Amino acid sequence: MRKRKYEIFKKICFALAIMLVILIVLVPYMWMVSNSFKTNLEIQGMEPSWIPKTFTFENYKRMNELVPIWHYFKNSMIISTGTMILTLLLGTLAAYALSRFKFKGRTPYIMTLFSTQVLPGILFLIPYFVIFNWIFQTFGLKMTNTYYGLIITYTQFSLPFATLMIMNYLDSVPREIDEQAMIDGCSRPEALIRVIIPLAKPGIAAAGIYSFWMGWNEILFAQILTREDVRPLAVGLLDFRQLTKSQWGSMMAACIVTTIPVIILFSIMSKEIVSGLTSGATKG
Amino acid sequence: MSKKGLAYFLILPALLALLFVHVIPMIWGIVISFLDLNVRNIINWQSAPFVKLQNYMLVFKPGTVIFTGFWRSVINITKFGLITIISGYFIGLGVALLLNKDFPGRTIMRGLILLPFVTPDTVAFSFWRFIFRSRIGILNDMLKSLGIIQDNIIWLVGDRSLYAVAIASIWKGWPLVALMLLAALQQIPQQLYDAAKIDGANAWQRFKYVTFPYLKPVTKTLIIFNILWNFNAFNQFRVMLSENPGRQADIPALFIMRQAFNHFKYGQGAALSIVLLLIMLVFTGIYFYVFRVKSDS
Repeated sequence: MRKRKYEIFKKICFALAIMLVILIVLVPYMWMVSNSFKTNLEIQGMEPSWIPKTFTFENYKRMNELVPIWHYFKNSMIISTGTMILTLLLGTLAAYALSRFKFKGRTPYIMTLFSTQVLPGILFLIPYFVIFNWIFQTFGLKMTNTYYGLIITYTQFSLPFATLMIMNYLDSVPREIDEQAMIDGCSRPEALIRVIIPLAKPGIAAAGIYSFWMGWNEILFAQILTREDVRPLAVGLLDFRQLTKSQWGSMMAACIVTTIPVIILFSIMSKEIVSGLTSGATKG
Repeated sequence: MSKKGLAYFLILPALLALLFVHVIPMIWGIVISFLDLNVRNIINWQSAPFVKLQNYMLVFKPGTVIFTGFWRSVINITKFGLITIISGYFIGLGVALLLNKDFPGRTIMRGLILLPFVTPDTVAFSFWRFIFRSRIGILNDMLKSLGIIQDNIIWLVGDRSLYAVAIASIWKGWPLVALMLLAALQQIPQQLYDAAKIDGANAWQRFKYVTFPYLKPVTKTLIIFNILWNFNAFNQFRVMLSENPGRQADIPALFIMRQAFNHFKYGQGAALSIVLLLIMLVFTGIYFYVFRVKSDS
């Protein structure tokens, strides 16, 4: 009898702990969502409340008048998609080579990929700024405040980890499949495109989402290397702070708009991403 | 084409990318750090005068603005890193142990805790800034209704600002720790626990002798990555505070950024970022040295 009581007590504690975790995760989001439907007057009022007293869509209508949110959204879409495509193009080829061949410099290359993950971004910011200026002065090619300039910069961040993620996934695709395809008359590049890439789709997709997210998230380089016409959403959001009157309601509405694309992407592939992240960071 | 030739051919684009976006800019950065590159000669960087080690001297010369500002920011970021990493690790470990039990809705939970991790930094730290606001924020309101405080606390300016940023960063950081530890926990064979139980081991002993040895490799990786990531922290300070958070919460990345892009001392900024890199290398070296000694004994 006593033992059973103890078991029930344990179960209740467990349920409470789970509830606590859920609350800790969700409470800030609830605050964000709730305030995006409040009037400015209510937000500035003395007593914060969880449920809007007057429910309004005004913030969603006004956010774009205060700050060009949809323009920034478009910029972010172009930059993140570009980063994703460039990263996957270079990353898949490199990952295939790393996974299937033993060659001189393989291990040092993998070590270099790992170490680039921990270098301070600030270390590259000043040289990038100088190099971009120099390219413009010498070749007349504009680099700052362009989509491609930022896409190249962001590929820098995403390529190493994306390569490792795809490599880990390819390692789980048996080599015999390559060999079988080649016996069947494929050349190696054909085997890669026709057989291996389709098999490695989940790993490649996870790496793609990771690169997209990286581009969506970055602010350090974006705030120095872009102005309003190319500025991505992550930096654009901070424009709300420069307004003369604080507009928390509209800012929270814009925050929701910024979050939705990444939530959609991650929920599609959450399993692959989790295993990609965990294996990418634990192996090697 | 030979097998090896193909390998090099496939890896060549990525190798060139690595060269152009990582190696060359880094060498360029080292070169700049020896120049007096400023607002007058930024258009034509070759014309900047070579000043030998002058940019580096300032970092190590007590009394200069650079010396005081930079080392203060290094101390701040170390404090921030210690708080964030230690708390983040234990919260992550707790949740990982919790989620390692079988219960209905576990898969959903695992997806849910990913949420803080995937939320864009600007968004997460913007709503945390909102939560921490002194008059309209919900945190002060909650603390007041619980009777912990009487008057509104100012979180985002002065002494408390570093802790406010740390709390928000812990909230954003623990999910990755939890997921990685959980992945390691699931590799532990159940028989080990059964055997330990038969031998009469209590819960703590089971954790210490069965669970923890399995978590050790992941923990090592996690902690070194977290040390380095937190040392590079930028977004949370930029978004929750500002470009200039004041002396109590200034950090190297922001300090260097202001030197270069607000005061237009690009050469000085480059030198500071090289010093920052060297400090990180020292940290990493100490970390690996300590762990090596420990695993030997």
